[in-house]
This record gives sequence, structure tokens and C-alpha cells, in this order.
Amino acid sequence: MANSDYSSWEELAKRELKGKSPSEHSWHSPEGIQVKPLYTKADSEHQNSNVTPHTLPGLPPYTRGAHATMYTGRPWTIRQYAGFSTATESNAFYKQTLREGGQGISVAFDLATHRGHDSDHPRVIGDVGKAGVAIDTVEDMKVLFDGIPLDRISVSMTMNGAVLPILAFYIVAAQEQGVKLEQLRGTIQNDILKEFMVRNTYIFPPQKSMRAVADIIQFTSQNMPRYNSISISGYHIQEAGADAALELGLTLANGKEYIKTALSTGLNIDQFAPRLSFFFGIGMNFYMEIAKLRAARMLWYEIVEQFSPKNRKSGLLRTHCQTSGWSLTEQDPYNNIVRTTIEAMAAVFGGTQSLHTNALDEAVALPSEFSARIARNTQLILQEESNITKVVDPWGGSHMMETLTAQIAEQARSIIKEMEKDGGMVAAIESGKPKRMIEQAATNKQARIDSNSETIIGVNKYRLQQEELLETLEVDNTKVRQEQMTALTKIKQQRDPQAATNALKALSLYAETGKGNGLELAITAAAARCTVGEITSALEQHWGRYQAQGVTVTGIYGQTFKEDENWIMIKNSILKFEQIHGRRPRMLVAKMGQDGHDRGSKIIASAFADAGFDIDLAPLFSTPEEVAKQAIENDVHLIGVSSLAAGHKTLVPQLIKTLKEQGADDIIVTCGGVIPQKDYKFLRQHGVRAIFGPGHPIPDAITEIMDLLNELS
Amino acid sequence: MNLAEKIVNGDRRALAQAITLLESKLAPDYMAAQQIIQELYPKTGKALRIGITGIPGVGKSTLIEAFGTYLLREQGARVAVLTVDPSSKLHGGSILGDKTRMAQLAADPNAFIRPTPAKGFLGGVGHHTRETILLCEAAGFDHILVESVGVGQSEFQLLDMVDFFLLLSMPHEGDEIQGIKKGILEVVNAIFVNKADGKLLNAAKNHQQMLQNSLHFSHKDNDTENTWLPPVHMGSALNREGVDTLFQTIKRFTLKSKESGKWIEKREKQTRVWMEEQLRDQLYFHFKQKYDLKKMAKSLNENELTPYFQIKQLISSLEH
Repeated sequence: MANSDYSSWEELAKRELKGKSPSEHSWHSPEGIQVKPLYTKADSEHQNSNVTPHTLPGLPPYTRGAHATMYTGRPWTIRQYAGFSTATESNAFYKQTLREGGQGISVAFDLATHRGHDSDHPRVIGDVGKAGVAIDTVEDMKVLFDGIPLDRISVSMTMNGAVLPILAFYIVAAQEQGVKLEQLRGTIQNDILKEFMVRNTYIFPPQKSMRAVADIIQFTSQNMPRYNSISISGYHIQEAGADAALELGLTLANGKEYIKTALSTGLNIDQFAPRLSFFFGIGMNFYMEIAKLRAARMLWYEIVEQFSPKNRKSGLLRTHCQTSGWSLTEQDPYNNIVRTTIEAMAAVFGGTQSLHTNALDEAVALPSEFSARIARNTQLILQEESNITKVVDPWGGSHMMETLTAQIAEQARSIIKEMEKDGGMVAAIESGKPKRMIEQAATNKQARIDSNSETIIGVNKYRLQQEELLETLEVDNTKVRQEQMTALTKIKQQRDPQAATNALKALSLYAETGKGNGLELAITAAAARCTVGEITSALEQHWGRYQAQGVTVTGIYGQTFKEDENWIMIKNSILKFEQIHGRRPRMLVAKMGQDGHDRGSKIIASAFADAGFDIDLAPLFSTPEEVAKQAIENDVHLIGVSSLAAGHKTLVPQLIKTLKEQGADDIIVTCGGVIPQKDYKFLRQHGVRAIFGPGHPIPDAITEIMDLLNELS
Repeated sequence: MNLAEKIVNGDRRALAQAITLLESKLAPDYMAAQQIIQELYPKTGKALRIGITGIPGVGKSTLIEAFGTYLLREQGARVAVLTVDPSSKLHGGSILGDKTRMAQLAADPNAFIRPTPAKGFLGGVGHHTRETILLCEAAGFDHILVESVGVGQSEFQLLDMVDFFLLLSMPHEGDEIQGIKKGILEVVNAIFVNKADGKLLNAAKNHQQMLQNSLHFSHKDNDTENTWLPPVHMGSALNREGVDTLFQTIKRFTLKSKESGKWIEKREKQTRVWMEEQLRDQLYFHFKQKYDLKKMAKSLNENELTPYFQIKQLISSLEH
């Protein structure tokens, strides 16, 4: 008989740990959960019976899986998110993907489209065709899906801001293919709430945006029964720096808000709840990510139950997952294949319905053909070589996993409750609180990495002496923009002007009076060849355009590095600068173009301010000219441009040129963010004085910048 | 061209650099700035100076965005905005994020926005805001909006720099007038109840009524030829509602106080306050430079002279 006496184990462990008790050896996860070195039956029995192995997959509360047989019947769908500059290129890629074992299409749009601007809009010069495909009219959409049978292939579209025109284009493109509405299958992300907390690809204010969401849920539930009207996304919340519990809590709270919104249109819960889907990010916190997905299903069941559904499928959480982009590094990039594999396994153990695995170069560029293939093969190997698919919920019954599942669920519950107390998610978002919570978590995480308390191989440990240059894909943005503009002119000339005007007027009236269904009206406008920009403007006339609130957190870096010698040296050099120059170093932190990913810029602002800089924050979505103007007015010493969406090669040289024209070329320009190594030379030639890629520790960046500043007379 | 000439010429960079000199902790910079102001002094005084105060979160920046763009577009004005952000004392630096809520204004060629990190003092107006106003006027800005976080006594300092003093308020739960400091109702020229939209609309109406009642009480006189009863407006800065009414009020106030002579009276008083500030500052710096204050303080601890007599002695030595 084996010895199962806990105290004997403790005794033994203590000896191995040289006198330390095993409980001191616990790991405090970013979620604030104490992960113990050993779990026993006593731990899992202590937890709620919902998560014990007494429940079964496919049955409420679905903790163990959305379906009874899970991958033993059919594996998850491999769905790789991709979009190349033009509809033609993307179409070719999708067709190739489908030939090579991909099982669905996932469309990435460029930022101009996301923000409801046509390609000829002056504010999107650096954005057209970057980070996704440029779509201006239904004609582009038809090219995008040319030769792809939309009645059989499910299409997932990552669109939140310009949902009405884009979904309308998809519908009209399908109709003109001869496909009926009820045959359409796929998902539109349509999760606007998280855009206000992270990523910022919104257009209209929260209340108005929710109206568009409601109209889409209403229209699809009546006309497109196989279409997922919304994909409630935690992914971007995690990517912005939230820990697993915060991601889970806020995502489910958003989901609850969408339920209430849909109910307010007069639908009953069973008419739409089965078509709500989810999207989670999967990072390197392996056990926690598995627990998160299990807890997500359990909690969603609890939430939907409050609305008394009759249909079994209403309370069933189905999710897509994507491996984490933040966990990828620019340094020693082949390591990313391994990271992605580990994350993919967590997603699969957690029971995802579909999965995107990141390409190894996604930290710096759009995937190349090579990196995209490896990413896809990662999943094929898991499905076809590893036998992982042979067992449903293989972690079920693990003392550790059941305990973590219950603990993370408890944390998420309290976040959901807190949002509820603040009056629901729309009100909470308007107050800025969830955004602040995420930014706090993000800044904490970056400070942990920069202070080496969280290890990233090849970045803050085992760094390569010499990095190899990775071949990455490049987009000729000027050419794409030119092509789109020519096409736009042609379409506007050839369409029936009266039909277009009437359709836009109807949309505008809808925005003014709130009468009618926005999607239905957008479909008419799409068929009349109205553009993304025109449809958006018609609504914007009455809905307005939302301006982000500049929420920032301070004090985290200062606290983390309080005792750090290097940090103290940095602070002293800044004090010295102040004595010499009569003021603190002043930096404008700016983002240009339609790239709304502001995690990086916020962390930079926070850390530099903690070190002693005066930081000016420029409004999101600025043009190079606007940034130059602000830099001059605030008389800053330098500008820190944060770029995450590949617009740097167009926008940064434009900024430097403008500064020069105004006699302000003594203002130092630096760049940070997702910038491939091979662009460094180009940027330096155009006058950029320092470039900081992903994984560059912020204290080092401050030191380098202080060196530059000290060269000032 | 020297800096002063460039400023008059509309050189944005020169204006910004002059403000930097003014705010600099280095004595030569500060003196250079005072020279510039001296040179530009005859060209100042023509703008309408508007002070805006209110608790954090009430929507000051958002109102400035709405009101400022209204002035630019509807009134053809040139607008300068001066804000002071509270510094993080603990960590040294500061984050000046007001402009993120003033995107359109920040982008407009006819607007100039300059946030100043508050050094040493919490929130409120900067030590050099008064002179910065003059620099902006010389650069041709005809409307100067000065924002002050209502911390400490800062709004009363601001009062001594502007022609029109606006309090921004917002609806509260319950029926108390919270968050409005004692004495402020006596000095405001108007109140704008912000966030009168959506769910808060009714609460805003109640709040407006309550404020109007208190103003009647504290002002006693009604709106007559010579007196001004501060009106309480309601609107939504976010939705850009209520800014036209606000502008009409300011216009009416300006006309009225110019006619009654109160305008000039106020400006003269403000110049006197400025002079008194200079008296205090310059005397202090004069002594600080000339004498070893540390050593003097040390001798205090030896119980020889009280600070009163010590300074008394110093001054009489100066007069002889």
C-alpha cells in the first residue's frame, strides 16, 4: 500500500527544499492565485461540485467540454487569420490554405477599413493595405471570395468598427454569387465593447455602437440562422496585457451586456444566444489557460441560465482561440514556434472549437509563406500525429486543474459582479475603469519582464550575441493605395447615383431617428455600390465619432525598480539634466495613422514618467503633421513614435520632413513597436535617432534616450 | 529676428520656446523670458481671457475641445489653451494627457495648446500662467482658455488672471451640492452643468436648479444694469451641446462689464496683483541670493533673534 500521508510528504519536501516549507514555495500567478507545488484530493474536494469530475462533457455546466465527444469525433477547426493588402492576393492565399488543409477562412482587414475610411481618405495614407486587406466596396469583397463557395466555406471576419458596411458587403457578395442568406455560415467579430478598452478600432460612441450590434443580432437571428452574429473576444484584452482572470471576467461581462442588448430588441434568449461565440487568447501560462477555458464554459452557462433559456444550446460556450502575439519575440524568433506549440496545446486541452496558431514572425511582420506553413502544420501535427485528440478533457479530475478552474472562475465572477455594480459594461467603459484595470495589469507585466522576474528566453535570459536577420514580408503600401483609389473612382462613376444617394440618405435618417434596421439599410447601400466611407459618414452625421479618453497609470515602474541600481542611476541622470537645462526632459509619445494599439505607448508613457520625464500624450489616430505641431507647441526634446501596424515607413519620414520644414529638426525622433530589423536602416537614413523593437527593456531605452539628450548643447 | 519678433510674426515655435524659457528653473532663461515679455507688453491685453475650473473628471478638457472648436469654426477665433497637469510627486515626472481629449483642437492651425507640468505645487495654475497668457496674446491669439484643476486655492489664483471665470459642474447623486468649494459661487461668472445627456439628464436639470437657487441666494441682487447674476447653463461637452449658449453668455458679460467699467477695473486690479506677486518674489530672491538663509536659520536655533526681528533687521539694513 502506497503511503498517502500528506505530512510525510511535507516532511520530505522540506528536506529537499533545504528547510523551506513547500507552501513558501508556492507561485503567485499574475491573477493573484497561489499555485501550490502539489495538489491532492483534499484541494479538489474543497471546490465547488460544478467542476469536479462528476460532470460530463456536452452536459451542463459544460466545464468538461462543449460537446460530448469533442475531438474524438472531429478535431477542432484550423482557422488561420490572414489578410494580405489586396483582395486579389488574399483570395489567392485563402484558396491555397483551403487546398493545404485549412478548414475555414478568417479575414483580417486593414486599419483604414476598420475605422470606416475609404482608401482615398487623407488620414489613412500609411494604413491602406497594412495589417490586412483593403476593402472599399462590395466589388472588393467579391474579389476576396471569388471562387470560394460561401454556402459551404465558413468565413470569419474580424470587424468591429465598420461592422455594418462590411457585413453588408459580405452578404451582397454572397447573394451575387447566388448563395441564399440562410446558407451563410461564419462569424463576424462584432464585439465593439472590448474596442473601447483595448485596440481602439471603434468609430461611434459606445451607446450608438451597441445599436449596430443589436441590429446585426436581430437581422442574423431572423435571416441567417447558421451565422454567428458576434464573437465576444478576450483575445485582445489578454494581448493588451490583462491576466487570464481579468480577460475572462471582462469578456463574460461583455457577453452579458450583449445578451441584454439583444433582449432589448424584442428577441428572446433562445433566438440568438446559440449564435453567440467567443474568442480567447492563449498565453504561456499553461495550466491557467486550460483552467480558463474550462471555467469560461461553466460561467457562461451560469450567466445564460439567469435569462431562463429553453434551448440547451443557449448556455453553451463555443470558442475560437488564438495563441498569444505578445508572447512572441523578435529576438531568436525560431523560439516562437515552440511557444506557439505550447500555447496551442493549452487551447486544445481547454477544449477550443477552432484555433489560430501564430506564425513565428508575427511579432514583427505579416506572416511569410514559410512561417504561415509552419504555423498551420503545428496544428496538423497536434491533430494527426500526437493522439492528443483521442481523449475528451484529459485534465478532468486532476486535483490541480479542478482547483485552478474553480479559483479562476471565482476571480472572474467577482470582476463580473464589479462591472454589474458599475451599471453594466457600457457604463463601466464610459467611466474608464476596465481600461485602467487592463493597463495596470499590462504595466505590471512589462515591469516584471524588464526586472527579470518573468523570464523570456532570448530576451531577458540566454540572449543571443548575434541575431540572425529574418526574411519578412513587406507591403508596398503606396501601390496598394493607388490601385484602390483608381477602383474607387471607377465604381463611383459607374454606379446609379440616385440609388446610392437614396441609400445613404436612408442610413442617415436611421441614425437620426433610430428607426429601422441598420444592417438591412447597409445591405441596400452596399448593393448600390456605396463605399465603406460613405456608409460610415452617413451614420457619423448623427452618431458622431468617438474620441478615446487618455487614461494612464503611473507609479508601477517606480515601485518595481525602487531598489534597482540601474534605475536609480537613470533617475539621477534625469535630475542632472533638469539642473543643466532648467526643466525635465520632455517627450511626446505619439501614435500615427489608424493604428489604435496603444498598450505599448501607454506603458512607455508610464515608465518614462516614473523615471522623471514629462510626457505629452498625443491623441490617437494623429497625422504626422498634427504630431509635429504638438511637438513644437509643447517644445519637447523628443518624440517617441509607437508603431504596431506597419505604417512606420510612410508616416515617420513624413513626420521628420514636417519638423524640418518648420525649423524644428532639432527635435529628436525615436521609434518603437513592431518594426522589422530590415527597416532600421531605412528609418535611420530618414533621421530616426533610435529604434526600439519588441522585447527591448524600457530602462535600457531610457538610458539610450538620455545619452541622445545629453548630446544636446 | 529675435524671439519676440518671431512671436509677433506668428512663429509657433518661437512662442513655445519663450514659454519654455519662462518656465525654466535657470535664472538666465527666466530673465530672457522677462525681456521678451517686456518687449511684447504693448502688444498684449487684447484677448478675451477665460478661466475654466472644476473638479477632476468633470469634463474640463472635453468642454475645451467642444468650446474651442466652436470658437474656431463659428466665431473665426484663434484660440490658445493653457492647462496645468498635476505632477506625480512621488516619481518625479508627469503625464500630460489632456490633449488626448482635445484631438480636433490640437490639430487645428488656429489653435495652440500648451500643457504645463505642475512642479512643486499641486494642480491649479502654473506659476507663470499670467505671463504665458501675455505671450499668447502677442502671438495673435484672441481667445485664451486657461484650465485649472480645482485643488487648493488655485481657482482663486486663476480668478486673478482672467476676464471670465467659468465653473464646470456635473450632476451628483442626492440633493447636496457636493464638490463645490466654499466661496466659489461668489466669484464665478457662470456655471456650466456638464454631462447633461442620457441617463444623467434629469439629475442635471435638478442640479442646475439647485445651483441657480444658491446663486440667487449668494448674489441677492437680480440681474440688473450694473450687476451680473451668474447664469447656470446645462449641456454635454461630449456631444458638443450647450457651447453656443455659453458663448452668448460670455459675449453678454463682456459687453455689460465693458459698459459698466468693471472690465477695466478688474484688469487694473489684476495688474496690481501681478505687481504684488513680483514684489514678493523679487524681494525674496534678492535676499536669498544676497544672504545665506541656511546660516540665518541656524542662528535661529540658538535662540538669538526671532525670525520676526531677524527679517526686520535685514530690511532696515536694506533701507540705509
